[in-house]
Amino acid sequence: MMVTFKPWLDRLLGRGRSALTVPPMDGALKPNNRLEEAPAGIHAAEPRSLALQNGRVVWAEGCKIMSAEEEVASLSHPITALAVSPQGRMALALDGRGITLEGDELPALQGATCVTAMAFEGETTLWVAVGSTVHPLGDWSRDFLEMRRSGQVLRYDIANRTLTVAAERLGFPYGLLPTPQGLVISESWTRQLVRLDGTGRLTLLKDNLPGYPAGLAPASGGGAWMALFAPCNPLLELVLRESEYRHAMMAEVEPEFWIAPALRSGYSFREPMQGGALKQMGILKPWAPTRSYGLVVQLSPEFIPLQSLHSRAGGKRHGITAVLEHDAQLWAASTGGNEVLRLNVREGNHQ
Amino acid sequence: MTAIIELRNVTKEFHGVPALRDVNFTLMPGEVHALLGENGAGKSTLTKIIAGVHSPTRGEVRFNGDKLSFSNPVDALRHGIAMVFQETSLVPSLTVAQNLYLGKERFFNRLRGIYIAAQQFLQSLNFNVDPTKYISQLGAAQKQMVEIARAVHHQARVIIFDEPTATLTPEEKHHFFGLVERLKSDGVSIVFISHALEEALAISDRITILRDGQHVITDKASAFNRDSIISHMVGRTLTEDLYQQKGRCARPYGPQVLSVENLSMGRMVRNTSFSVYGGQVTGIFGLIGSGRTETAKIIGGVVKRDFFHGGEIKLEGRSVRYRTPRPAVKDGIVYVTEDRKLEGFFETQSIAENIYTGSLGAGLNRTPIVSYAEMMELSAQWTQRLNIRAIDGSAKVIELSGGNQQKVVLAKALVQKPKLVILDEPTRGVDVGAIAEIHAVINELADSGIAVVVISSYLPEIMNLADRVLVARQGRVVEEFDIEEASEEKIMYAAVH
Repeated sequence: MMVTFKPWLDRLLGRGRSALTVPPMDGALKPNNRLEEAPAGIHAAEPRSLALQNGRVVWAEGCKIMSAEEEVASLSHPITALAVSPQGRMALALDGRGITLEGDELPALQGATCVTAMAFEGETTLWVAVGSTVHPLGDWSRDFLEMRRSGQVLRYDIANRTLTVAAERLGFPYGLLPTPQGLVISESWTRQLVRLDGTGRLTLLKDNLPGYPAGLAPASGGGAWMALFAPCNPLLELVLRESEYRHAMMAEVEPEFWIAPALRSGYSFREPMQGGALKQMGILKPWAPTRSYGLVVQLSPEFIPLQSLHSRAGGKRHGITAVLEHDAQLWAASTGGNEVLRLNVREGNHQ
Repeated sequence: MTAIIELRNVTKEFHGVPALRDVNFTLMPGEVHALLGENGAGKSTLTKIIAGVHSPTRGEVRFNGDKLSFSNPVDALRHGIAMVFQETSLVPSLTVAQNLYLGKERFFNRLRGIYIAAQQFLQSLNFNVDPTKYISQLGAAQKQMVEIARAVHHQARVIIFDEPTATLTPEEKHHFFGLVERLKSDGVSIVFISHALEEALAISDRITILRDGQHVITDKASAFNRDSIISHMVGRTLTEDLYQQKGRCARPYGPQVLSVENLSMGRMVRNTSFSVYGGQVTGIFGLIGSGRTETAKIIGGVVKRDFFHGGEIKLEGRSVRYRTPRPAVKDGIVYVTEDRKLEGFFETQSIAENIYTGSLGAGLNRTPIVSYAEMMELSAQWTQRLNIRAIDGSAKVIELSGGNQQKVVLAKALVQKPKLVILDEPTRGVDVGAIAEIHAVINELADSGIAVVVISSYLPEIMNLADRVLVARQGRVVEEFDIEEASEEKIMYAAVH
């Protein structure tokens, strides 16, 4: 009986899901300006998906594969994700076309859309994260506002050329990290990390994240790096609660001005609630919650946050979608800030 | 100059056990005389003899050179000796003004006139207390202010302050010290008991130190420093053990045990958010009225948050909402109160009964029948672990010193096997020796993986204990510092501005 009335009661009393609360950013997630104060990076137009190939870091930039030194390759379709195997074989997810391995199309994955991440497990398995089976990657904010849980993680057996759906009904899987205990998946819309074990069971590793997680990468001392592409805020929680409002907004307002997470903000006065901000003691204090943010978090092997790097409301290096640690440097793709950042990884205060 | 009060070879025994032994003490007119010592050193007994609460077993008390013995406090007050008790002696069912005028009533009392006079008097002391409020409605600090005001109002020539600043904010303390200076210039003599040694050094002219009921030393305040006072008090220096924050490394973050999200309760707690991690001590600093105690009480189920949109509390990721402390205790949250005498223990019960009550509250008793042997065993175990100084577990808690009472309160909480311990002013009114022991217990808890929250108004304590410091102001957590970056100035700035 109570179960029936609980959502209604929660809505009336402002509790449970209707509490519109957001997790605090404190402890290891305490805001700083380490990302914003990092040395100037490499200019890149909406970089995505970092990988290590032959000792150099490469990333996807529209239809091109780029490295710090040169353009590695140019393709016919925009690249949404790339991955490199331990032996250097490269898999590419091409928007609207499918996935290629070393230039060869994989028939089983032909036409795969909204591929957000890929990861090799040895040379035999390719894991593929499909953010949404309903919307293309460019329409991800609609997927968010429709509160869809249509994401999938696919397992492609390279030797046998077979494809299996390893997990489905996920809230926009955006990061994959193979570990000996199973595959770690970051789910953006549910703001959590889960582990997919060998039996196909999903185990919750970390939930209630203060932002929407994106790319994952192994950290040198064990554990992982996690990028969060936008912050969670009470306004978004409120909009998610109001179905009629959301549908009216999607029908009548241009997508870039929707009240939804964003990879960048502050570029137009027509953006929701961005006009209101004040400067106090030289620091921009938005009275309206910021839509975009830059955040990278280092996690321990137990997935406990150890340290974090931020680009705050007044910063530019927002919308971090991918991270990679290589040669004592942390590489971060700021899709919103059009920049690939290189930071010296120093240990956090609490390691 | 004749001493206004002189105690010569005073001995006081309770049931044959000496609390004071051959103590000599003099108080000069217009002098501020600090009386220092550990809990149980005999300070309160000595001052109670001066104030007429106790009579000495041996020795003599001289007032203005005349041998005199007060039969009761009213007699002492008639001679101009007032005492501000550590345990407030106000009448809760009367208003502030009525308490101020208690004992000075006329045949016809005009209540409005009393309120106006009380208002003016409190304002002259810079005490922000509403004279029409009932004492029961006031917080600990405001009660203390009324207590002080009452002593001043009686125009006493000798005022004994027993831990007057323990509950006051820095600003209120500043006003209090100003008041002491004013009283001193008016020729009033003041006996000042405090565990805050810096305060004693700052405001007193002379310092007397007692240890184990015996006089150790009396000298000018300028002849002492913090270390020398402590070494006289306890026979060794504890400063480095107690407040050695320099070079201290914080413990690493453990798993998030508690997440407080947009918590609200009336005007006291306003949309506050913070997290608490296992295996760490999270310090919360804030001035009185900053909402830190109220926040802790909401978490512990002692008070309720707002009915509508009160925010969320997540214990290990699970949303919880307690209406009473018991389910919170069963879930592993214990709140150790700042007001131990009122909320911390059952004063008429024994140590063993109090500790066992804690275990009953958590539902840890094995059978519905209370086993006396089990109770005594539990008591012996915790008495030994926390070094509670008492004859045995059957001793009444009210008979113990402040430090030992606090240890009983701690034992009562820790016996509940908590995941999260919230300690509100854990060392208030506790002597330096017991502070060191309580600090060691707190560190042990954090080292064993328990999430510990320490709420304290004493910055050196926060700096010494906490791995991260949260600063509360106007009902919300406004700032967070890692212990490496924290300084007393930064914390205080965040708490005030």
